[in-house]
Amino acid sequence: MINFEHVSITYPGATEPVLAGVNLQIPAGELVLVVGRTGSGKTTLLRAINGLVPHFTGGTLTGRILVDGRDTATNPPRELADLVGMVPQDPMSGFVADTVEEELAYGMECLGLAADVMRRRVEETLDLLGLADLRNRPLLSLSAGQRQRVAIGSVLTSHPKVLVLDEPTSALDPGAAEDVLAALQRLVHDLNVTVVMAEHRLERVVQYADRIVIVPGDGESIISGTPSEMMGNSPIAPPVVELGRLAGWQPLPLTVRDARRAAGPLRELLIGHAAPLRIIKGERDATPLTITEKLTVRYGDVAALRNVSITITRGEIVALMGRNGAGKSTLLSTMVGLKPTSAGIVRTNGKDPREIKGPELVHSVGLVPQDPGDLLEASTVAGECRSSDHDASVEPGTTRALLALLAPEVMDGVHPRDLSEGQRLLLALAIVLAARPPLLLLDEPTRGLDYPTKARLVKVLRELAATGHGIVLATHDVELAAEVATRVIVLAEGEVVADGPTQAVVLASPMFAPQVAKILAPEDWLTVSEVRTAMIEQVG
Amino acid sequence: MTNSLALRLGPRSITTIAATSLVGIVAFGWPLIAAPTSSVVAHATDAPWLFAIVIPLLLAVVVSSFTDGGMDAKAIALLGVLAAVVAVLRPLGGGTAGLEPIWVVLVLGGRALGPGFGFVLGAVALFSSALLTGGVGPWLPFQMLGAAWVGLGAGLLPRATGRPELVLLAAYGAAASFAYGLLLNLWFWPFVANLPAALAFTPGAPIVENLLSWVRFTLLTSLGYDIPRAVLTVTLILIAGAPILNALRRVSRRAVFDPQPTFVPAP
Amino acid sequence: MTGSLFHLPRWLHPAAWWIWALGLATAASRTTNPLLLALVIAVAALVVSARKPDAPWGRSFKFFLRLGVVVIVIRVGVQLIFGAAFGTTVLLDLPGVTSPSWLAGVRLGGDITFESLLLAFYDGLRLATILICIGAANSLVSPSRLLKSVPAALYEFGVSVVVAMTFTPQLVADVDRVRTARRLRGRPTTGVRAIAGAAMPVFEGALEKSVTLAAAMDSRGYGRRGTIRAAQRRMNSALLLIGLVAACIGTYALIAAGSPMALGLPMLIVGVAVCITSITWSARTAVRTRYRPDPWALPENLVAGAGIMIAISFLAASWVSMPGLDTPSNPPTWPALPLLPLLGLLIATTPALTAPELPRTKVAQPRSIEVAA
Repeated sequence: MINFEHVSITYPGATEPVLAGVNLQIPAGELVLVVGRTGSGKTTLLRAINGLVPHFTGGTLTGRILVDGRDTATNPPRELADLVGMVPQDPMSGFVADTVEEELAYGMECLGLAADVMRRRVEETLDLLGLADLRNRPLLSLSAGQRQRVAIGSVLTSHPKVLVLDEPTSALDPGAAEDVLAALQRLVHDLNVTVVMAEHRLERVVQYADRIVIVPGDGESIISGTPSEMMGNSPIAPPVVELGRLAGWQPLPLTVRDARRAAGPLRELLIGHAAPLRIIKGERDATPLTITEKLTVRYGDVAALRNVSITITRGEIVALMGRNGAGKSTLLSTMVGLKPTSAGIVRTNGKDPREIKGPELVHSVGLVPQDPGDLLEASTVAGECRSSDHDASVEPGTTRALLALLAPEVMDGVHPRDLSEGQRLLLALAIVLAARPPLLLLDEPTRGLDYPTKARLVKVLRELAATGHGIVLATHDVELAAEVATRVIVLAEGEVVADGPTQAVVLASPMFAPQVAKILAPEDWLTVSEVRTAMIEQVG
Repeated sequence: MTNSLALRLGPRSITTIAATSLVGIVAFGWPLIAAPTSSVVAHATDAPWLFAIVIPLLLAVVVSSFTDGGMDAKAIALLGVLAAVVAVLRPLGGGTAGLEPIWVVLVLGGRALGPGFGFVLGAVALFSSALLTGGVGPWLPFQMLGAAWVGLGAGLLPRATGRPELVLLAAYGAAASFAYGLLLNLWFWPFVANLPAALAFTPGAPIVENLLSWVRFTLLTSLGYDIPRAVLTVTLILIAGAPILNALRRVSRRAVFDPQPTFVPAP
Repeated sequence: MTGSLFHLPRWLHPAAWWIWALGLATAASRTTNPLLLALVIAVAALVVSARKPDAPWGRSFKFFLRLGVVVIVIRVGVQLIFGAAFGTTVLLDLPGVTSPSWLAGVRLGGDITFESLLLAFYDGLRLATILICIGAANSLVSPSRLLKSVPAALYEFGVSVVVAMTFTPQLVADVDRVRTARRLRGRPTTGVRAIAGAAMPVFEGALEKSVTLAAAMDSRGYGRRGTIRAAQRRMNSALLLIGLVAACIGTYALIAAGSPMALGLPMLIVGVAVCITSITWSARTAVRTRYRPDPWALPENLVAGAGIMIAISFLAASWVSMPGLDTPSNPPTWPALPLLPLLGLLIATTPALTAPELPRTKVAQPRSIEVAA
């Protein structure tokens, strides 16, 4: 269905090609997963499929790309619109119309389909993706998961044979992500659609893939193969694969179910080893950093938080989990006084955060918002660092030094908007940390982060906790929570439904349990590294 | 730094803009330039309505002359986004002494993205903000044409960089926003019946006399709006002009208007 | 009146409302009779209250009502200050000032007569009524539906306006979010500086989004068009040129002295019509279709027809110089109620019944979107 023949792509003004010598054959009806670091050329590969690269971006394409026999050189994106459906990373930024139904019809209008065909396909798609209740809703009022499904639906109505998606689940909670992936799988199975998708969160998608393409970046040639071939020696792999490699399982399991069936011997091996308890290291300071008591926050007639009573102390890393819209962001915002409370109290550093003004707030609590760009106003990284030193009234150069530790590759003169998503996050983190706030709050820090950046973030968070910071992460990333959290709080419809040590909370929940826990249940192992340590002890 | 033009001005669009502008000059200026015995003067109270119908039709022709071969998705999307910015800014100054920050966007947009884009931006921006606020009325075509001229002119300014460029733009912004106020006075002036003779449009009177009346009318009525508007525009351009221009030029580089994709068969 | 169409709630075609409202406005422009003008306003208000959607733009009628009051006040005020008094009923004798000679010796203040104020009031009321009729259209028509029915030649223009309209509430929400986020850096979140500080990042973000949006539009087939024969293309260009030249000549003839009447207005109209024909033909090459376009059926004919009827009734009355259309203010007389315009007004109220009811769906309320997710 898709053929890349000796393809090299060079952007205008660049000396080196982003992709070089790509040869790739993707048969019809496959679900292909494209994996690679940020900046490796993964998005270029995806956008070359419908000719956006180079028709839209400019540049030089050497070689030939055929999609269903059509050459992208002679067919610009608009002429391929009936064949390739492209879902951008942020669905909201690709919407043209203002309501769900109009958006679903937009592509067909451009293709000039007859009115009755359009009507029929809109109805089919509404049903296929479970959007029927939302048909008249304005797109702005939808949740992230609903928007993603509308974005998929809006390209499906053109009946494309190929569907290309850029990180379709990165903004979604585990439940919504599964809905979207199930919908994609249905397309592959029932309608023989070829799906090509890029995704960082392998643990969510590997089991659905028929083929994996690894884009290593730095001009190295891409490799592709079946998931079990590719996962055998891929530098990045989901926990289920890492555990399989560690235990030497053959064939390598890709799903939790297969791994469970192979895990009998490993479970026996681990008997007698208790998973390490997550204890708070560093300063044992019982004084709470933030307290909420019967906290209630309302937006109009909707209660975003109901009677939330929690306490965060030094040295803790708390993962705040729950569906999109469960109130996680609201809770974080309330702790820094961004949102007024409706009832109950919140005390950060012993004070009502809404009363703390200016620099004092920065020194007592830091929040990295969901879009770290919200914090950035200057036109260069260096300027941003200087103004941060000034805001926090700290020694000039403090922020720059922190940034050098967190992200050494970031240059001074770059515009913050030209940084990758991960680098922007680290810059915002450096700014927030400049004032050394004892309490650090992060809202969805791993959205769109690749594995190396995520690993770096995990290391930083551990070090901060060890030096007595209290950290709260609102996150959908169950593997991240399992990796770093000492405690997990689950919110549902604004209420705390679970609060306790990580093991106790995540093991009890099918939605928030990490893969290792699912494989080794009922034992309470959470991560591959824990198991590895235990196995080393066993052997040694 | 090369400035790519978001909308290419071809012979077709230049002709339509020129013709529309000619008709537009008459639509605004007929009270001052029409011969006392001409037929438009004979129907003085109906003339504004006639032009309120003709101008939008001609603007439609201009817009469509661009789309026939030039207006790609990038220009459309950027146009929509900048028009949204104008729509957000417009109510901010609504009514308060003519303090309309929108001129900054129109002037800088025209400057950074070219005269053709500036022209269409002026028309689209005023139209969409009127739709959003429910402000569609007989004044709208005149506002659209006036704003389109402001954007067009900004795109035609001579080359300059750095500080001189900002000063140039600020001077233009002052002149343009002031002129806009004067022009819009003209279109409804013939309506305002029963003014004293020294202020009123007198059909059939010598042109010089009408011109003086109009100047007096402007001095007495709208100067309080036009001067603060010009001052605000100058201040904003001098303060925020540089970063806004940079942002517009950044996006115009990033968008790669007029990309020239090349395809080389594999060796 | 039969047919289930009238019981089936749906949106009326936007053009029908505009024709009706412009008909009302045309009628209002032909009279200074305060009773007739008040009745026109009453008709507009009645229909708006019967068929106004519960949406932000639906509230613009009130805005136009207030604007109307302002217009009347200004008009009367201008009369008070600058107006040359006539008539005999002196209400007030203000001290008069004559402005300096460079302002041509305008006399300010002075005697204020009932007659001159009445004339100013009638004149202001007429302009206010025209505005209120247009306000009625503004509040009855959903802007996005209006854009859906723009002609094919203006499709691109329509798309960019749609983009603008969907982006605007997002921009407001973004500015708000970034402004409050300044707190996280210990910066003030209120005042001009805070808004200005928040504006730049939001502006840059919006510009970047425009590029993503353009890519999405391209990928979805925006701008596909069929082939056009070279001969047809030359023909369209030639037509456009002829039309533009004709429009310019017509315009010139309008303002030139002694040009024959036939050269002015007709020439301008023909020129514009030729231009419109040319762009309509050019737009035929586009392959686009419309999803669920608003139908034009009996209710649309009735509503638009009502607008045309009231316009005709007033125009006819003015053509035959029917007494009562203009109310003399010197000496003041009680306004009459001529029959033909009354009949037209009666017809103009029918859309309150003949326009279908609105469907009971929730309409976009952009301000209530929560960013709590």
